[in-house]
Amino acid sequence: MIETIAASRCPRCDTVVAPPAPFCPRHPVAMIPVGLQGIGEVVSFTTLHSPPEGFRSPLHIALVELEEGARFVCHGAETRGLKMGTTVAIEAIDNVYYFSHLGTLDRARIFWRRTGRAGDRVNAIARSLAKRVWKGKTRAEN
Amino acid sequence: MLNVWVAGAGMTRIGKRSEALPDLMAEAAHAALSAAALEEPDAIVVATMNPEEFLGDGNFASHVATHMGFANVPTLRVETATSSGAAAFYMAFAQVAAGLHRRVLVVGGEKMTHLSTPRVSELIGRSIDPYERSYGATMPALAGLITRALTAHGIGLREFSQVAVKNHANAARNPYAHFPQPVTLNAVMESRIVADPLRLLHCCPISDGAAAVVLTAEPTPVRVAGIGQGTDTLAVRHRYALTSFRATQEAAKAAYAMAGFGPERVDFAELHDAFTPFELIALEDTGLVPPGKAGRATLDGDTALDGRIPINPSGGLKARGHPLAATGIAQIVECVWQLTGGAPGRQLSGRVALAHSIGGLATNNWVSLLEARRP
Repeated sequence: MIETIAASRCPRCDTVVAPPAPFCPRHPVAMIPVGLQGIGEVVSFTTLHSPPEGFRSPLHIALVELEEGARFVCHGAETRGLKMGTTVAIEAIDNVYYFSHLGTLDRARIFWRRTGRAGDRVNAIARSLAKRVWKGKTRAEN
Repeated sequence: MLNVWVAGAGMTRIGKRSEALPDLMAEAAHAALSAAALEEPDAIVVATMNPEEFLGDGNFASHVATHMGFANVPTLRVETATSSGAAAFYMAFAQVAAGLHRRVLVVGGEKMTHLSTPRVSELIGRSIDPYERSYGATMPALAGLITRALTAHGIGLREFSQVAVKNHANAARNPYAHFPQPVTLNAVMESRIVADPLRLLHCCPISDGAAAVVLTAEPTPVRVAGIGQGTDTLAVRHRYALTSFRATQEAAKAAYAMAGFGPERVDFAELHDAFTPFELIALEDTGLVPPGKAGRATLDGDTALDGRIPINPSGGLKARGHPLAATGIAQIVECVWQLTGGAPGRQLSGRVALAHSIGGLATNNWVSLLEARRP
């Protein structure tokens, strides 16, 4: 099961933006809602060592290009082994999008970085792991 | 359209200043007015990016005008984020060119150092797209993404570190600069990481200061040859390219079209190096060096004070400092001083100068061209 990311397309220039916007950034026309597969290529990434309030250091941010050219900003657990052009999967936990190119343990570490109640974090990890198992199963069946 | 000339220029020393912003702006304004031998302008254009949040003061055009004794002079304020100074310069240019006013004072300033660094970063970061901000994107974070993308285009740590070395060396000759001390290439390359691959000494400081110019319809030694504005999407993720700025390219195109000449006539430039890789991007976007050659030109010393095309003789945002809305005007001040022999210790001999200012993360940029009149 691959995450579907809500986006929108300009009927005039076919630009696709995520998350969806009411108007095309370059044309004064209403955009059409579309869904994109949560898989893409890393365009660039950085690690912030003094992130703004509400985020823990180090904060990994990537710019990922989804299908149809839409670019997307998301978080990650780790940039080790990441290169421009690496294919990553994107998933949403509590409406926050994460890229991942690593194994289960690394993925779990993402959520320890988030500020918030410990219970919420454990829940997030459990849901992420459940998705991982589900995805693995789907892949095996294919 | 009338010809527009620069009658006078002035600025404060940039750095950590204890004076209130209206006092800094009055200091810069009085310096420019006195250089123009003018007691009172016909109109005033004020540039401040965010006095509402940095200082808690609003209605800033009237605030500054009244503070300077110009309560009866028509005054307005212009804002395009970090390029507000250049936008105010454009507004004053338009007023004179249209024949609405004959002598217009432009004054820009910002005061930030009384706040903590995280607070200042957060306030400046509010000019970023809200969705990208919700992922912790700050100005350095987006600059870090752009810098990493540049590394795939042959611009590496050494190239954008050399920009810092050069600009600090220039600032050491500028008594108005925030950082008068030179830095070594090693010190830059080994400074702490801010937003990988950007390090601390690749980033401009938080500065206070003000700058001012007087524009007039009467001929003076320096003419405003052209001004252009260029824009792009608020969100960096909506851009077609990361390693060049459409906003700069369009601004340069418009400025050259107005001036009737191209980059080959430019002798030196003040470029917006809030992050040192941005100087390399601007060098190519303004056409001052061919595409793909900015790194090489910098390492070869072409952009040094004694090079083929000196860039940021003042020290740039990197080392002269970056008091936001003052910056676009401080660049013009440096160009005017250079064109009129008023930059002792770093004096260049050129006749045409270019100033380039970035608003937000290159969403609203300006390019201005100044030309010294033939004697």
